Amino acid sequence: MNQRTSVFLQGLVIENPLAIIMIGLCSALAVTTSVANGIGMSLAMTFVLVTSEVIISLFRKLIPESVRIPIFIIIIAAFTTMVDLVMKAYFPDLSKAMGVFIPLIVVNCIIMGRVEAFASKQSVSNAFLDALGMGLGYTWVLISMSVVRELLGNGTILGIQIMPEAYQPILFFVLPPGGFLVFALFISFNLFMKKKWTKSPSGISDPEGGN
Amino acid sequence: MIKSMLKLGIVLALFASGACGALAIVYSITGPVIKTQEERALNAALKDIFPTADSFKDITRELTSSDPKIEILNAYEMKEGDKLLGVAVKATGPSYSTNAILLTGINTDGTIKQVRVLQLSDTPGLGANAANPAYYVDKARKITFTGQFIGKKTTDPFIVKDDVQTLTAATITSRSLSEIVKVSGEAASQYLSRKGGAQ
Repeated sequence: MNQRTSVFLQGLVIENPLAIIMIGLCSALAVTTSVANGIGMSLAMTFVLVTSEVIISLFRKLIPESVRIPIFIIIIAAFTTMVDLVMKAYFPDLSKAMGVFIPLIVVNCIIMGRVEAFASKQSVSNAFLDALGMGLGYTWVLISMSVVRELLGNGTILGIQIMPEAYQPILFFVLPPGGFLVFALFISFNLFMKKKWTKSPSGISDPEGGN
Repeated sequence: MIKSMLKLGIVLALFASGACGALAIVYSITGPVIKTQEERALNAALKDIFPTADSFKDITRELTSSDPKIEILNAYEMKEGDKLLGVAVKATGPSYSTNAILLTGINTDGTIKQVRVLQLSDTPGLGANAANPAYYVDKARKITFTGQFIGKKTTDPFIVKDDVQTLTAATITSRSLSEIVKVSGEAASQYLSRKGGAQ
C-alpha cells in the first residue's frame, strides 16, 4: 500500500480521532442525540479540518515557530466563523440545533492536534489526505453513534419513526450516560477493526505495535 | 531581539488581516441572507399565532417583566387593518438546562391566544416534549402542553399541578415555561389595559 493511501486510512480506523486518539470528545458526546445533528457537526468539522490543514501546510514555511499557535488559532477560527455564518444563512434550523458547538470547533482538540502534529510538518497533499481521513474517521463514528442513540432513545432516525409504535423509547440513550455507553461500545468495535486490519498481510504497519 | 519581535508581530498581523479580509467577504455575502432568514422566521412565528394579522408594530419598550429572571425580548402589537387583535410577546427565562424562549399571543380581552416554543434545549423525551406537537398532557382530549394555555386568562395563577398540567417527569420545565407564559401574559395585558384606558 503506498504511503498516500496509508496517510488517508490512518484517520479512519488505526488513528481514529475519537475512538483511538480520543480527542474532541465533549462535542461528540453532546451532539450525537440526533442523526441530523451528527451529520451537521461532522460535515462542519471535516470542512474546517480540511481547509485549516491545507492552508497551514501551504504556509508552513512562513509561519515562525514561536508564534505558530496564535496563527493556527487565527486560521481555524476564521474557517469556523465562515461555517457558522454559512449555516446561519442557509441552514438556520440546523444552526439552531447545533447551538454553541459550531463556534466551539475553534477549540476542538482534533483540529489543533492534527494541525500541530501533522499539517505544520507535511506537504499540502499529505495534509489534505490526513485531514480527509481524520474528518471521515470522525464522521463515521459520530453518525453511527447518533443513529444508535436516536433509534434506541427516540425510536426515530432523522426524525422519521422507525421503531414500531409500541416501542417505548429508552431515554437513557439520549441522556449523557447513554452517550458514554454507546461511545465505549464504539471504542471497542474500532479496536476490534484495528486489530483485524493490522493483522492482515496487506495491512498498514502499526506505529504503536498493536493493542 | 527587538527586530525579531517586530518581525513576529508583523507576520502575526499579516495572518490576522488575511483572515479578517476573508471573513469580511463571507460576512458581506451571508449577512443580508441571515437577516432575511431571521425576519422570515419572526414573520412566520407571528403569523402562526395571529393568522389574520396584516401588520405589526414593535412595542418592546412598553412592556416590563414582573419577574427579574424572565426577560421580554420583543413584543409586537398585532393589527388587522385598524383593528387591534392583541399582543405577541417573545420572552426568555431559565428552564431545566438553559434558557427557553417562548412566543405568547395575548388577545385584547386578556386571554391567551396561543403559545409557541421557539427555543428549548431540555431533556429529549421529557422536557423537550413541551415543543412536541404530538405529545399530549391531556391524552383523552388531545391537548398539548402549550395547547392547554389557549383561552386561559392572564390573571390565572399558572401553578403547575393546579391549573397547569405538567409534562410527565419534567416538573421544572413545566414550571419554568408556565412562568414565562404568565409573565408575558401579565405584561401584555397591562399594556392592553393602559392602551384601552387611553383611548
